[in-house]
Amino acid sequence: MTNEQFQAFLDRHGANSARWPKRQREHAERLIASDARARAIFDAAWRLDDALARHTKAARADDAAVARVHARLASPLPRQKITLWRLPTVLLDWQFAPAWPRVAALACCAALGFVIGIAGLDRRFDIPGAPFAIASRADLGAIVFEPEPLTGARP
Amino acid sequence: MDDSDEALMAQVARGDEPAYRLLTRRHLPAMLGLARRILGNAADAEDVAQEAMLRVWTHAPRWQPLAAVRTWLTRVVVNLCLDRKRRVPWIDLDAAGEIADPAPGAGEKAEHNERERLLAAAVAELPARQRTAIVLTYSEGMSNAQVADILDTSVSAIETLLVRAKQNLRRALGHVIDEDQLR
Repeated sequence: MTNEQFQAFLDRHGANSARWPKRQREHAERLIASDARARAIFDAAWRLDDALARHTKAARADDAAVARVHARLASPLPRQKITLWRLPTVLLDWQFAPAWPRVAALACCAALGFVIGIAGLDRRFDIPGAPFAIASRADLGAIVFEPEPLTGARP
Repeated sequence: MDDSDEALMAQVARGDEPAYRLLTRRHLPAMLGLARRILGNAADAEDVAQEAMLRVWTHAPRWQPLAAVRTWLTRVVVNLCLDRKRRVPWIDLDAAGEIADPAPGAGEKAEHNERERLLAAAVAELPARQRTAIVLTYSEGMSNAQVADILDTSVSAIETLLVRAKQNLRRALGHVIDEDQLR
């Protein structure tokens, strides 16, 4: 590594050896230990880094400036930007947690109603002749309006 | 209750204003400081910080947790600063006078202030992206990879920016560095 390359290396990675790539660290440290010119370059890079860190960290925001921006943000906030394709996701994000017992009860009622409807448990079997009555009501239209099967005569 | 940045951001996305206020209180000082260091101008930095925090509110429903909230916010602030620098080039040489100075004696203090003024002027004259790379590296302590992520570029591009920035600084501060006066 020439001195120019070492200078570029320090510019890229800084003078703090903890930030140096492992592959080049040992070589760079050997160069600093053995070459006076490289040591001078390293010292100058260290001073520049130190000054830059001090300078950039000094320009912190003061409390008054923070308070001013907070005050400007206190006014009513603008509308949030929600794209249409995000709406289903917004609905999915809906918080059901506080209402989960009611939602569970509703789901149980719906499932129970479905089972009762499928199984026919809502029909009354204890009335004599009820199946016939149901069948006769269902076939009433056919009896009244269909033609006679044997003769073809209409009512 | 989970008050991590990501959890708060999810609440903000649902329009939760108290969560937004908490997130603002947490990040505004750092973002304002970052904007001030990049822009070198307090008034512009306040505008940028306000705009960035408003974007947290308006863009929250679209926010994807691909990166940390802090990283995303830093990227927003940096982009707003670079946009502003492109529109209105600004060099604030007066800012150097506001830097805290722990110098022991009055004579040494004046000398120190002069050196700091030279350094502030040299940093202020750097092109915006070089200056941003310097600020993110030395003020925020970011690695080259993190700076590349914020500036949405490659690590080698950041290394080039740093090399050029330091060449410019050495050119502007040559005698100060050589004479070991930046301490």
